[in-house]
Amino acid sequence: MSDTLATPPRPAGGSPSGARAAWAKMRQRIGWEPERETLREPHLFLLLAVIIGLISGLAVVLFRIAIDWTRLTVFGSALTPPPTRTVLVPALGGLVVAFLVIKFFPRARGSGVNQTKAAVYIYDGFIPFNTVIGKFVCCALAIGTGQSLGPEDPSLQMGAGIASALGRRLRLSREKVRLIAPVGAAAGLAAAFNAPISAVLFVIEEVIGKWTAGVLGAVVLAAVSSVVVLRLFLSEQPLFRIPEYHLVHPAELLAYAALGVIGGVASLVFVKLIASVRPRLKALPRWSQYFQPAVAGLLIGMIGLRLPQVMGAGYDFIDQAMHDEFAWRMLALLAVFKILSTGLSFVSGTPGGMFAPALFIGAMIGSAVGSVEHHFFPWLTGSVGAYALVGMGTFFAGFLRVPMTSVFMVLELSGNYSIILPVMISNTIAYLISRQYQQTSLFDLLSRQDGMDLPSMEERREEVTLHVEDAMRPYQGVVLNPDDPIQLALTEAEASAEVFVLVKDGPERWLGIKKGDLRRCAPLMRQDDPLRDLLPDTTLPYLHPDQPLDEALRRLGEWPLLPVVSRADLGKLEGVVGLSDVLRAYRAAG
Amino acid sequence: MEPERQCPRCGRKIPWGQTECPFCSEHQGYLWSMRRDTFLGVVIVSLILLFIITGMVVRRYHAVERDLAQDWYSQGEQALQAGNAGEALADFRNALTYSRDNSLYQLRLAQALVATSSLQEARTYLLSLRDRERGNGPVNLELARLAVREHAVPEAVQYFHDAVYSEWKGDPVVQRRAVRLELVRFLLASDQQAAARAELIGVAANLPPDPELRTQVGVLLMNAGGYDDALRLFREALAAKPRSAPALAGAGECYFRSGQYAQAELYLDQALRRDPKLKQASAMRDTARGVLDLDPFIRWLGEQERERRTRQAIDQAMTRLATCATQRGIDLHAAGGDPLQTLYTQAAAIQSSIRQRTVRRDTEWVSNTMDLVFDIENAASQACGEPQGLDLALVLIAREQEGARP
Repeated sequence: MSDTLATPPRPAGGSPSGARAAWAKMRQRIGWEPERETLREPHLFLLLAVIIGLISGLAVVLFRIAIDWTRLTVFGSALTPPPTRTVLVPALGGLVVAFLVIKFFPRARGSGVNQTKAAVYIYDGFIPFNTVIGKFVCCALAIGTGQSLGPEDPSLQMGAGIASALGRRLRLSREKVRLIAPVGAAAGLAAAFNAPISAVLFVIEEVIGKWTAGVLGAVVLAAVSSVVVLRLFLSEQPLFRIPEYHLVHPAELLAYAALGVIGGVASLVFVKLIASVRPRLKALPRWSQYFQPAVAGLLIGMIGLRLPQVMGAGYDFIDQAMHDEFAWRMLALLAVFKILSTGLSFVSGTPGGMFAPALFIGAMIGSAVGSVEHHFFPWLTGSVGAYALVGMGTFFAGFLRVPMTSVFMVLELSGNYSIILPVMISNTIAYLISRQYQQTSLFDLLSRQDGMDLPSMEERREEVTLHVEDAMRPYQGVVLNPDDPIQLALTEAEASAEVFVLVKDGPERWLGIKKGDLRRCAPLMRQDDPLRDLLPDTTLPYLHPDQPLDEALRRLGEWPLLPVVSRADLGKLEGVVGLSDVLRAYRAAG
Repeated sequence: MEPERQCPRCGRKIPWGQTECPFCSEHQGYLWSMRRDTFLGVVIVSLILLFIITGMVVRRYHAVERDLAQDWYSQGEQALQAGNAGEALADFRNALTYSRDNSLYQLRLAQALVATSSLQEARTYLLSLRDRERGNGPVNLELARLAVREHAVPEAVQYFHDAVYSEWKGDPVVQRRAVRLELVRFLLASDQQAAARAELIGVAANLPPDPELRTQVGVLLMNAGGYDDALRLFREALAAKPRSAPALAGAGECYFRSGQYAQAELYLDQALRRDPKLKQASAMRDTARGVLDLDPFIRWLGEQERERRTRQAIDQAMTRLATCATQRGIDLHAAGGDPLQTLYTQAAAIQSSIRQRTVRRDTEWVSNTMDLVFDIENAASQACGEPQGLDLALVLIAREQEGARP
């Protein structure tokens, strides 16, 4: 495909005026031809990534302010709102949001991550701009009125929607339009988290699923641009005040392992809750969808009477938990009721994300474990805040099943590399527990419940890649020398079980000849003529045992089989592989 | 063949074999007919406009946040001053929601937490503040006070010292001195007189010529056992303000504690003339007078006066012994092994044998009798509590005598 798109010729006007002539002259001097597109597509793609980052950053800034302003308007400025409002506002907010979603913004419902994936894999990168507006309005209302959801997932989708709109309007190629949505998603998420590395990793790990230099550059540019905007307007500081971390004693890692187990089990419970309740609520009559968010809001409001911390995104309370401001019983209660309230909000179809609630639950579990450890083994434990931080990553790893992102998220938030050991231990345990007892990851589960079969990034990561060594077999013949007399070569070839005979020409060059060809041509030659006279001039491609089996398919072409040679010695034959061997290996792998 | 694809504009499926969306090719909008470079220009201009609009919104938002934070903070301050720490706590938490990193709000929150006995949480806040601003005087002082509440003496002293050498807003000299004096009071309460004295000597060296302040430091120095330095401060205070009753009382007490009862009586009497409500000074003056009236070891006394004082001392001691025995239910006339009974028997024997000529004949009589008096007073003190009035005077005479003995 051409890098630049053809522009329709402009209709010829009248004779150019003096000013136009001067303008044309100047253009000629500076070498600018407006009839041609100035930027080639790869350059435009990168420029667009920056623009998308900036716009997404601005959108997220306004989104966060909209959430806060909604909250201030409906609840007042106190952390603990008056009881009447606590009960009624989420219910009324739920009613309004449900009406808006059903009547005007049907795509605002559901997971932004999956919708971005759907745009990439199903809709050629198409995300209607209406979704961006819908997400902004509905999520600001829902989160601002106390539904237990977070702003990250909507921010991700707003970024993707903005990117999609710009990419389409700028008539990027189909491939680039598909890729531009994840670029915007990374920008939106980076601004929402104020953490560009985590956002880039998340999008690569969960949306795109592969590392390619072209996309990575754009994703990074967009994420960095959006975070710059966010920090310019809101704050340079992370979402929480990060506590200091020091590993007091190596035995403390056992406590982090225990945190991994608890976090893993909690995340499993949360996923199972969503997996079982969501389809049931979806199956209810359509009219009930108008009331489901309101009922969820009412229940959350009732929980909020005793535990107002569970309402909204809850960043302030994560901060408090990190600084040891709750007793461990309260922390455990908050974790349990946040799971319940977020589950209610999400399964009722209220638009909003689950990243912030996941961080909240993880922080509460982590702080609770830290407090208990601190109580029973005061000589072992570091700060409760460090446990909260690790707990966030742990729950994230178990719940969203993004192990890399979860580790780097904690590192990025804490700015402390020494926390890596507990994070890795705890996250890995939680991730393994979640995988063991819940086959499908949350995102895949949601997409299947919505009737889509999006590619599972987790399954992709787990795919077994076949290598040449899985298909190769021993060469059942003699390797001929091109200088051998034809009669001798024929005799040896006849003794070979292979239909294609390998010939080694020098230390590294491989040639080959079909036994049938040799048999047919040998009588036409003199007996002492060298085999070389019969051989085709084309060098036989060779393979190495560790190369992917796809490579064998690509190289086989018309050759019946190819030599598999050692990387250390290109003349050393390790085996051979033919098309039937490749197919057999693929069949065996299932 | 080109596979079926989505229309990039409207999202409808473009039918097989067609390259344009049939719907969109009929409805060409202005934006969609624009050239790419032109559209890019429009996007950049829109971006600039969006920046300006966002900037205005953010500025307004921050102003609202600042106002809310200030309102909650003011309410918290009022609640704290009214002694309603629980309400203040909620207010400061609200204030911090809108101004998370405001050190002053965090400090007040920590103070409210201390007031509501949430010491652990207060400590966490203060430590996090200290991590950010190691040289923050008020934070170190609050940490010191927290350590005081938890009776962690070395930690408290460390934080007090950190507070002394930290930064202070306003007049740092005054603030540092106040912290040091608070540290001194804590050291005195922890029975660390020597450490308190060392701190006070440092404070005294840099005091401004303020008689009240000198008197205040003098009192602390006196309590720390630095009578000479304290006396110097009281005298300096009196030089600036001769009628200062606290300074006169302080000087009198210094003399009293260093055994100079005549000067003590003089200063304390003057202090009481200026302020008759000084109860401690009054008691001390009476004791000083008692010492001066009862002490038989004063050199210039005649024999008769010495004997009179000795007799008065033994009479006073017997009275104390009788009162103490009654208090403890002991019969002094009965035989028994109680030390009070033994002492009573000895004292009764001495009382009955008192004759002037005996005194003249026996030069050791005064000191032997007074030794018995001291033994009685000491025993009574141990059995029935601290002596008062003339009994205290006798104890002080005893101590002075013990100190004078080789």
